[in-house]
Order: sequence, then C-alpha cells, then structure tokens
Amino acid sequence: MWSTVFPYLLSGISVGGQYALIAIGYTMVYGILRLINFAHGDVFMVAGIIMVYMAASGVPLWLCIPLVLLLTALIGFVIERVAYKPLRTAPRMSAMISAIGVSYTLQNLVLYITGGLNQIYPTIPWISDSVTIFGATTKMVTVITPFLTLALVVALVMLINHTKIGMAMRAVSRDFETSQLMGIKINRVISTTFVIGTFLAGVASLLYFTNYTTVIQTSGAMPGLKAFVAAVFGGIGSIPGAVVGAFIIGIAENIIKGLDIILFKAGIVSGPLGLATFSDAFTFALLIIILAVKPTGLFGEKITDKV
Amino acid sequence: MSENVLHIEHLTMRFGGVVAVNDLSMDINKGEIVALIGPNGAGKTTAFNMVTGVYTPTEGKVTLLGKDITGKRPDEITKLGIARTFQNIRLFSSMTVFENVLTARHLRRTSNFLTATFRLNLAEERKMRAETEALLREVGLYELKDEMATSLPYGKQRLLEIARALSTNPSLLLLDEPAAGMNPQETEELGAFIKQIKEKFDLTVFLIEHHMNLVMGISDRIYVIDFGKQIAEGTPAEVQDNPAVIAAYLGVEEESDLPSEEPTEARGAEKGSGLPLEDPRASASAAPPEARGPQKAETRGAEKEVDQ
Amino acid sequence: MNRKKIDSATIISAVIVLALYVAVFVAEQFIPATSMLFTVLKKGATYALVAVSMNLLNGFTGIFSLGQAGFMLIGAYVYGIFTIPVLSRMDVYQYYNGGLVQFTLPVFIAMILSGLAAALFAFLIGLPVLRLKSDYLAIATLGFAEIIRALFQWDKLGPITNGSNMLRLFPTFNDFNIRGADGQVVVYLSTLVPLLISGVCIGVIILLINSTFGRALRAIKDDEIAAEAMGIRLASHKRLAFCISSFFAGVGGAMLAMYQTTVQAKSFTTAMTYEILLIVVIGGIGSVTGSCISSFLFVACSEWWLRFLDQKQMIGTFEVPLLRNGFRLVVFSIIIMVVVLFFRQGIMGTKELPDLIRGLRGKRAKGGADK
Repeated sequence: MWSTVFPYLLSGISVGGQYALIAIGYTMVYGILRLINFAHGDVFMVAGIIMVYMAASGVPLWLCIPLVLLLTALIGFVIERVAYKPLRTAPRMSAMISAIGVSYTLQNLVLYITGGLNQIYPTIPWISDSVTIFGATTKMVTVITPFLTLALVVALVMLINHTKIGMAMRAVSRDFETSQLMGIKINRVISTTFVIGTFLAGVASLLYFTNYTTVIQTSGAMPGLKAFVAAVFGGIGSIPGAVVGAFIIGIAENIIKGLDIILFKAGIVSGPLGLATFSDAFTFALLIIILAVKPTGLFGEKITDKV
Repeated sequence: MSENVLHIEHLTMRFGGVVAVNDLSMDINKGEIVALIGPNGAGKTTAFNMVTGVYTPTEGKVTLLGKDITGKRPDEITKLGIARTFQNIRLFSSMTVFENVLTARHLRRTSNFLTATFRLNLAEERKMRAETEALLREVGLYELKDEMATSLPYGKQRLLEIARALSTNPSLLLLDEPAAGMNPQETEELGAFIKQIKEKFDLTVFLIEHHMNLVMGISDRIYVIDFGKQIAEGTPAEVQDNPAVIAAYLGVEEESDLPSEEPTEARGAEKGSGLPLEDPRASASAAPPEARGPQKAETRGAEKEVDQ
Repeated sequence: MNRKKIDSATIISAVIVLALYVAVFVAEQFIPATSMLFTVLKKGATYALVAVSMNLLNGFTGIFSLGQAGFMLIGAYVYGIFTIPVLSRMDVYQYYNGGLVQFTLPVFIAMILSGLAAALFAFLIGLPVLRLKSDYLAIATLGFAEIIRALFQWDKLGPITNGSNMLRLFPTFNDFNIRGADGQVVVYLSTLVPLLISGVCIGVIILLINSTFGRALRAIKDDEIAAEAMGIRLASHKRLAFCISSFFAGVGGAMLAMYQTTVQAKSFTTAMTYEILLIVVIGGIGSVTGSCISSFLFVACSEWWLRFLDQKQMIGTFEVPLLRNGFRLVVFSIIIMVVVLFFRQGIMGTKELPDLIRGLRGKRAKGGADK
C-alpha cells in the first residue's frame, strides 16, 4: 500500500513546492493591489522559454540560471509598469481585464517565437539526476524542491518582517491610501512586490520544467491557476497560507492521479474509474468549496478592504 | 395618541469591541416628523442601517406597523414600507433622473421576467411611467428628467434621492442628512419641502440632520444620542434646554457629568465637532457632514460599505 | 416595446438590421459558399451571441463571470448528444457501443434544450458562487468551467458524452440549405439561419435589458446597496441574470458545435472565455451593439483580414520581416492591450445603434427615447 502511494505523495510534495513559489507571487500582489494577476502563470512559462533559448544559444548553464531569474524579475517589473500602473485608479475590473490581456499577449508572443512547438527544457546537472528514496525512483529536483521552497519562504518572511521595504509592504497591504499619505513610496513597494513575486516564479520554473522537461505557450496557464487557488485556499494575502495551500493542492492532485491504481491495489475497486481526469478539476472543486464555506481561506484575515 | 409606525426596542449594535448603538428604544407615530441628532460618530447612521436591514442588530427589536422586521433583508423592509436616502448620495450613475425614479418602482411590479421581457406587462409599465412622471412633477424635477442623474447639481441630487425613495411607496421615510452640503437658503426650502411631501404622500418622516435650524424647525420630536446611547428625547424646545444635550455638543471636562456611560474606545478627539445649539447662525452655515470615513461591517456574510 | 412611442432612431436601426439580413440572403445565393465571407458571418454570429450574453453579466449586472466556456461546452454537448442521427451513433460512440441515447431530437428543440441545460447548471453553481465578491466570483466561475470540462471527458460518462472522443455527424449549418430532389442546393440558408438565430436571441436580451428587470440589473451594477434599499432583491436578480446569460451561452455553444461540425470538451478552455471577454471589452462593456460589431471584427480579423500576417509576404524581391505563423496573434494582442489601456470605452462605450443615429452624446438610449 505504502509503496503504491509514496511515489504520488513524493511528486505531490514536489509539485506543491513549485506551486507554492508561484502562489507567493499571487498572494503578495493581491495583498497589495487587490488584483488577481492572471498573467503570473504566463510569466512562469516565459521564464521556462527564456531558459530554453538561452541554453540553446550556447550560454553556459551556470550563467543561464541567474540570468533567467534576473530577466524574469525584470519582466515582472515591466508588466506592472506598462499594464497595471496606468489602471491603478480605474475600477478593479479594468485591471483584471488588463491582466487577462497580458496573459493573452505573452502566450501569443511565445506561440509566435516557438511556432507552437514543445520546447525541450535543458537538462540541469545534479538536480536532473535520478535518486532512489524509500524504494521510489525520482529526480533529485523532487527531493530538493520542498527544502528549497521552505528556505526561500523563510528568507522572504524575514525580509518582510525585518527590513524597511518589508515594513512598507506590510503597511501598504494594510491600507493603501494611508500608507501613501505617510510618505511610503508606493511605486517602489509595488515594483518590489512584483520583482520578488516573479523572481520566485522564475525559481519555480527551473524546478518545474526540469521535472516535466518540455515548455509550450500554454504551460503556465494551469500551474498558474492552481497556484492562485492555493493562495485563495490558504487565505489570500497570507504567505504561509499560500505555501500550505500549495502543498495541499499539489499532494491532492497527485494522489488523485494515482487514485485508480491505489484503490485497485487496496482491493477497493475492481476496475479503473478514470478518476485521473479529475486531478485538475479537484483543485477547482476545492476552491468553490472553500469560497462557499470560508471565503477568507485557511489562514486569511478578515479582509476589510474598500469594496 | 395616533397609530404607531416604528417601534424600536433595546436596539444594540456591536462591531467587535465597539458599541456603536447601545440599548436604543424609540417610538415614531403616524404623521410625525422625528429627528435623530447627536455628535459625529454617535451611531445615528448605524441606527438607520439597523432599521433598514443593512445591519442585523446584535440585540433588540424593530417593529414596523406592528410587524417585527428585525433581521429582515433591506429589500424586504423596503417592500414593507420603509424607504431611505443616503448620507453620501448613492444614485444610479448610469441612469437618467427619470430612470432612477422609475427603477424604484420595480418592487411594486406584478410581472415576472418573462412577461416583462416579452412586453406582456405593457399596461403596468405605462402606469409605472405615468406615476414616475407625476412624481417628478410633484418634486419639481420633471424638467430635468432626461439628464443623467450624476450630472445634476448637488442639491438636486439630494432631491432626486428623496424622489427615488418616494417612488417605492413608503409609509415611513428615512432621510440621512438630507441637508448636508446645502446652503442656508436651500436648507430652508428643503424644510418646507419635507413638510409638503409628508402631507401629500401621507408619510411619517424620520431624519438624521446636523443643521439645527432645520431640525428645530420641522421636527415634532427629537431624539438625541451620544456614544450610541439615548441622552434626551422631547420636543425641540425641551431638547434645546436639556443640560445633557448641551454637554454632549459642547463637550465637558468632567466625563461624570454625562448621564451616559463612556465606552472608552468609541471616540476621542471628535468632541466639540457638534454645534452649540444656542447659536443657530453657526449651526446653519457650518454644519459639516459627518467627518468619519465609510466604515465596513459584516452583514449576512457579504461585505458592504456603509457610512457609519 | 414598452415606450409610449417608438422613436424614429429605433425604427431606422431596425431597418438597417433588416437590410443587412436581406443583403446576406442575396449574397448567399450568388457568391460561392466557400467564400471567407460566410465563414466569418457564421462564426461571428455565434460569437456575437456569446459575447452579448457575457455582456449581460459583466456590462449590465456588474457580475464579473469567467464561466462562459463552461456553459458553451454544456450547450454544445447537449446539442450534439441529442441530434446525432440514430444511424450514425454506432460510428460516433464506437468505444461505447453506440452510446446510451438512442433517439434524435429536432435541431431547434435540441438548441433550446442546450440553453436550458446550461441555465440549470448556472442555477446550481450560482447558489454558492453568486454570493462572492467580484474577483473571487471570477475565479470561482472560471474554476467551475474547468470542472465541467473534466466532467464531460470522464470515461464513465462515455456512453453519454463519448468521453474524451469527439462528437460528430450531427446537423450543421449546412443542413439549413434547402436541397432539391437531386441533392443540389436550391436555396442557400446556411449563413442566414445562424444569423437569424443569433439575432432573435440577442433581440430577446435587448428586450430584457430594456424591461423593468433590465433596469433593476443596471441598478445593481451601479450601486448594490442603493438597489437593495430600493427593494430590489440582489440574490434573485443576480441569479436571474446569471441563468439567462448562461442560457444564451448554451445556445451559443450549440451554434459553435454546428459551425465546427465536431465537438470536443478539451477545446473549451479558459482561453476561449478570455477571447470572448476581450471581444466584449473591445466592443464596449455595456453595449450590445458594440459586442456584435466587435465579434464580427474579431472573427474577420483572425480568420480572414489578418491572415496574411501569418505568411511570408514579398514586396518585389523584399521579404517583409517578422511575418510568419503566429504573427497575426501578436498583432492582435497588441491591439487588445492598446484598447484595454488607452481606449477603455471600447468601440461603442455604452452606446447603442439608435444612439448613434440620434447623434445624442452622453445620453443613454432610453433617456432619449422616453419622450
């Protein structure tokens, strides 16, 4: 039984960690701007594409990785300045539509560049190596993802709690207008938020695509949505919430993928039920349930924003 | 004693630790104009919001024409005969003056969405339109009926809010600072207008107001609250001479002089933002709209922004 | 019409629309059926209906829903399931032994059923979802569409939905053509009929918008608290708008099935909803006319006018740079971003065709028509 479940659990934890890194971007942006950044998943995908093209053009891998992270953060910065900043005083619906527009643009741009073909992700040494733990064979990346995720989250929480910019971020997410009046440079705080969020999405892309090995223009859509659900599930605006939510969703999704086999081996069912079809849908069912039952999510504070 | 229209019994509203309205009881009888006054943040609008169903009271009971309406939805309460205006004008901004008033007749429809869509309700629709036109003539907005509501001058917008409220066929009209932002002359006209519509539409009026000239001029009775608690009740003359009221408006050094208990967290520096009753000139020209920003409260799970 | 007098601008608008229909009918008899024009008109008619149905929610009720693709999927499947001829079912449901449904409904009844099924799902999902605030509602409806997509691909439902395989061989737009005894087409109607269906549905939506219920919905959009204080019950009116919008999205889904000639759940993605939303935005949130114009423009550009961007073009011996597969979509995206950022009113703002004719600026359709 355990040996059947364990591989699914393992990949669940791994993909959960990757979702967590993406989810932080959503939750931070939402916390500050009350905006669902629909393009965030696509930035994650673009990070993957940049890696593919950079490695193909002969840049050594050790240099590729920091460059990819840097460029991804830059893209986040530019998107905010171009597509969201002009709409900051507009109705919330406008900014959300703009985010959808950016998502559409990024996907089409990548479609144009790649010709819509699956791109093979470069093999990053060591983390692509196979390892066997507790009898399950997997890639090293699966094992290190949760640890790396937790380390980054701890660093981020320290940043938010113990630095000046972190304090400014907390202030802005509490009360946008007042913090502006208090002399906080709002643009800098928002840009920093986007840079941090997209940087983490860049890290997630390194881990995620090493695992799944191909990138295409739609690769970011599903992980993006799921990460957002994770952020809502954990309580939007809360970083620990997003991380916990992401792990729960990652694990649940992978268990469902293997549920047919698990149930069969446990002798509960005699034939396949085709439940794997629902591995994505489950995430959204979870979303609707949590929104109906506890709209503020697991760790969410009561949001007292201006409607 | 004439027929009782609104009966409020031990009404209390708490937001977290703050008691916005504390054990408020009052009665309004048919044909009366009753004012609710008090310094900024005293809980007047909160009281209105409980009567109209925007908030569900923490404790207490509201009765309209003998019927318990506590905890009912705002739309149900409006159907039962209470209409209101808002302190910070809330007109339908995408609509004309005419449509604003016409929309408020929707609740008296007998059609359903199918009969309305396929125009099987023509007679009713014609009647609604005719009534709306008549109402607009009555309040003097007919000439402006095709203007966008939000393009009207401020005073006319307040008037339109009243017209829209009247369009729901209320028996009790709640006016939340109808004179806010008006000059003395407009305020005076408003007073006459309120009396006039009260007679014409057979209304009972319950209003919150800071312009003391207006309040003293038109009210039959006045309730005064401070820190959510009633501190006085009576005719304008009685209330004006009440020491507790004067203390509440002018502020006093010794808190113990007040008959009400002080919730410590409720209000600090706002003392004295109310106006001396003895100086009608000052009160007529300078009364500010309530200084506090909009405050949120949780009602039936949905978040709403309602002015405190 | 519930106005005292129907004004001339409305009559002129009706005449224009009628003239367009006549023009299409005439064109269809003389221009070869393979012309791109008809493709655009058919697909445009479908998209126009779905866009207007989305506008009813986003533009007129202020509910930001992103579930359109899910409701279209339901409509498309219901249509397909009930109209595949019994004789073809063995072919289509080859892995499911011919499937469970062994009868065929007339096309128009199946279309109505498509709408009703979508409306039913909307009613059920509306119970938890419509209480949510704007952006949560958006993401919840989006999630709902994804759930529907998975559900319809589930192998266990295969005898009904054909699982992840496509539905096909059901009546399409071409079956509206009237054929003679020899099988030759006598009267071409394959473009006119979809335009008529779409037109009738949009007409009904316009009637609704201009009824007392439409005013109530606009009141909710403008100010929920004031609307509720005027006796408008928020929950039931929002649910009404959601169900009606979904009904027409369902009918639109059935039309899409007819246009595509096949249906497969996996194609009803979030991207489809986004596309329709962008059409609504380009046309103007809150304008039915805008949604219609924008739908035809969008389809014409993507299927026809901008196709050249996807191929190499030579000017003399000079090869125009950048042009290759996918460039059309890049240009498209840029246009969309420009509209979203700089022309937030879209093509029409909140104006309608009669407003244009009246030439009134800054006044809404009904305000001017009340005279």
